[in-house]
Amino acid sequence: MKHVIIGAGVAGITAARTIKEQDREAEVVVIGDELFLPYKRYLLSEFLSNSIKRDELLFFSIGMLKELGIKLRKGEHVKTIEPLKKLIKLHHNEVMHYDKLLIATGGSPSLGLVLRPYKKHISFYSSLYDTLVLKEKLPEIRKCIVFGNGVSCLDLICMLRNLGKQVTYITKEEQATFALNEYDFEGELHTFLEEKGIEIITEDQIVLIEESDNGYKVETIQQKMLTTDIVFAWDYYKPNIACIEDSAIEKKTGILVNVRLETSEKDIYAAGDCVEIYHPCLKNYWINFGLPNALEQGKIAGKNMLGQNEEYKIQEAIVFNLMGKSLKARWWK
Amino acid sequence: MKYSEITIRFCGIAGDGIVASGKILAGACANIGLHVMVNNIYSAEIRGLGKSSATIRFSTEKLYSMGDGLDLLVGMMSKESIIDLRDVKVGGNVIYDTSTIGDVAEEDSLASHITPEIQGHGLPIKKLANEATGTNQGKNLVAIGAICYFYSLPPEMFIDQIRSVFAHKEEHIIDINIKAFNLGYEYFRENYPLNNQFEIDKRSEPRALTSGNDAIAKGAIDCGLKFFAGYPITPATKIMEIAAKELPKLGGWTLQMEDEIAAIGAVLGAWFAGKRAMTATSGPGLSLMSEMINMSVMAEIPTIIVNVQRGGPSTGLPTKVEQGDLNIALYGGAGDSPRVVMAPTNSEECYSGIQLAFDIAEKYQTPVIFLSDLFLGQRTETVTIKENIDRNRCTRKKPTPEQLENFQRYQITDDGVSPLIVPGEPGAVYSTTGLEHSVTGNPNYEEDVHSMMTAKRFRKFESMVEDLPEADILGEETADIGIAGWGSTIGSILEGMEIAKKQGVKTKLIKSIMIHPQHEDSFRKFFASCKKIIVPEMNYQGQYAALLKSRYGIKPIEIHIPSVNPVSPLKIAQKIMETSSELSQ
Repeated sequence: MKHVIIGAGVAGITAARTIKEQDREAEVVVIGDELFLPYKRYLLSEFLSNSIKRDELLFFSIGMLKELGIKLRKGEHVKTIEPLKKLIKLHHNEVMHYDKLLIATGGSPSLGLVLRPYKKHISFYSSLYDTLVLKEKLPEIRKCIVFGNGVSCLDLICMLRNLGKQVTYITKEEQATFALNEYDFEGELHTFLEEKGIEIITEDQIVLIEESDNGYKVETIQQKMLTTDIVFAWDYYKPNIACIEDSAIEKKTGILVNVRLETSEKDIYAAGDCVEIYHPCLKNYWINFGLPNALEQGKIAGKNMLGQNEEYKIQEAIVFNLMGKSLKARWWK
Repeated sequence: MKYSEITIRFCGIAGDGIVASGKILAGACANIGLHVMVNNIYSAEIRGLGKSSATIRFSTEKLYSMGDGLDLLVGMMSKESIIDLRDVKVGGNVIYDTSTIGDVAEEDSLASHITPEIQGHGLPIKKLANEATGTNQGKNLVAIGAICYFYSLPPEMFIDQIRSVFAHKEEHIIDINIKAFNLGYEYFRENYPLNNQFEIDKRSEPRALTSGNDAIAKGAIDCGLKFFAGYPITPATKIMEIAAKELPKLGGWTLQMEDEIAAIGAVLGAWFAGKRAMTATSGPGLSLMSEMINMSVMAEIPTIIVNVQRGGPSTGLPTKVEQGDLNIALYGGAGDSPRVVMAPTNSEECYSGIQLAFDIAEKYQTPVIFLSDLFLGQRTETVTIKENIDRNRCTRKKPTPEQLENFQRYQITDDGVSPLIVPGEPGAVYSTTGLEHSVTGNPNYEEDVHSMMTAKRFRKFESMVEDLPEADILGEETADIGIAGWGSTIGSILEGMEIAKKQGVKTKLIKSIMIHPQHEDSFRKFFASCKKIIVPEMNYQGQYAALLKSRYGIKPIEIHIPSVNPVSPLKIAQKIMETSSELSQ
């Protein structure tokens, strides 16, 4: 039985491990679009600030991959999926057969219409590659502007501030809430960040970025003119589902799955940040971002691909270490 | 990452511009003062049918061999490149084409065979080449552009090199090739911005590139080669090509004959007429020449046979290297048939060595077999050749006026060398034949005459020793482990010794361009100072080891590598380490 997993993030690699731990004979191929061995994305800030070494980021060493018998293909992505023929086609036109397929392609920050023209001036911080690029630039960086939302944005701001950088955070909201509808935190997040020396500009957004002699000039909708050494910006976090565009796999923003993480197509599963799953509280489909969800979904997808019948239960919250203080966050009330 | 040495292999099929890739990359690196070595491997088949590869190693330090392993493999054709993945170092990189037309089966896809220890990088080679040139041509330049960015090499040097390589083409051809280079460069800059750094010393002067075949041809011409006759054969043909181009400019001639027997016959004729002459061939050709070499021995007519060894026997492996022709060079003649055998170890020695070969052949009226090999002959490397141009050189022992009065062409002398005259000169009346003969050259089959003449022919080899270079002894004088090598294997031995040295094991090496005869005393002294002797060579039998055993009575540790690729320095280092462990027990 050949299990092909598209995506080498937490969900994908957890599924691969689950399959091999339960069935040593299963053939497991993991296709990751990044150039590295599977790593713990949630530790990137610690790596960037030199609190941990690069090796400590890894989920698996090469030896462990070999021991488990997982075939990892790095730096590759899937162009198309043909569920009827049980085939996938990779970016270099290689055609691969599967018996069971898991899509765990994650999500990535995306730019809206206003920011898209300035893409080449914008830095991202969502992968190890981004982090390595940033690590090279860091010594030259003094001032940073960050525009975005979500826990990863909060993580970025705190990391930059921890490194002694001058940070300006721009948000469309009245307060810096990072789109967390509910969180357990000692005090107000907005005030806490300001007290830590982070400048917060509210009810505003970036409309123009220009290269200047020593960095960038940034203009906001409130006509603020700012200068900075680096700009991080994204409008929303979007599931990476380009590979299913031409297939019959049902989707909304992400790939729609049932509680067994099955897609609308036979023998195709999906897990992690690329899926939308029905949320009984919200009474709608919902993307379950975050590490605990990805881990849980990876395990369940792996088991179900082996013919078991496990159901996924939504993880209620994630716990986050915010500059030494615990933050328990939810995206819903 | 930071590099001071890189090995890159382009791999595809004949017609993919693989050899040109090596040439451009090597040229650009040599121009920025790096040391470069290039080894091309191609199929024996015609264009489009066989696999072809060019391996380029460049470094800030002097290179002696192709080293071990690849830092980067560029797979221009997916399926053909799969086997080369085994040569990629842990942590190495692969560039593969993402724009192949049509579906590729998983088992035929280069990417599918890349293990996690290696990093693959997709590059739409064909697509970008098409964008630049409108055809599939220029694929190699797309890849070179990507490499230039990947290792932070200066693009302007590559653009200069492209201009130089395509200088004979129309301007728009140069432009589209530069465009292909730029597209590859930009693609990598956009998609793989995190590149590596190659340490370049900006004060370095450009270096010259040459091959062993080039150096042999140039060395021969510079010391008075007037006539070349040959029959094309891989990997020796380049020597004839250079002779054909250069000799007419200097009043000389090059003849392509109907076969190798005719070629050496013509060369003997030219020497007989007093002209410095040469042929170049490979194993099968040398086999055919064996009887004419004997003619050279018996008639004491000088001759030079360059044998660029390839894999054998028979037609064998026309495009692969091996050092399997030592025995035929030494012993491949009927009767007691002494000949000089020389084996250069690098391109510098190809130049200086062939000049020595001419001087010895002419002075001692003997055949000299100059044993190069495919790796040495065809590899391109940065070298500093000390030019020695004297096209009127003559080392012939001419008769005195008294000797001419009663001319004895085969006069018995102390050194075994008789006076030699060009037929047609006054007094030059003598008989020359492959038959045994008296001092005048007339056929004679008496026992005492044959014994006397045989001894005379062998005596020349004792007296010529004074004209021969001493053996080189390299490494640590006090080392217990000694290595004896020959030909192009020396480069790998030197690097293997260096690897062992870094592990704390001292070694020393004896090498000589002279295989037969040799300065035997220096070899005896060297071997006496060693507790263990290692003899690595690229053949199955251990042909050089057999010679050393019979000549010096040693019992060496033999490494026999019937190789199709240059010897791995690591393999030699491993044997040194094993030997060191045995010694310490």
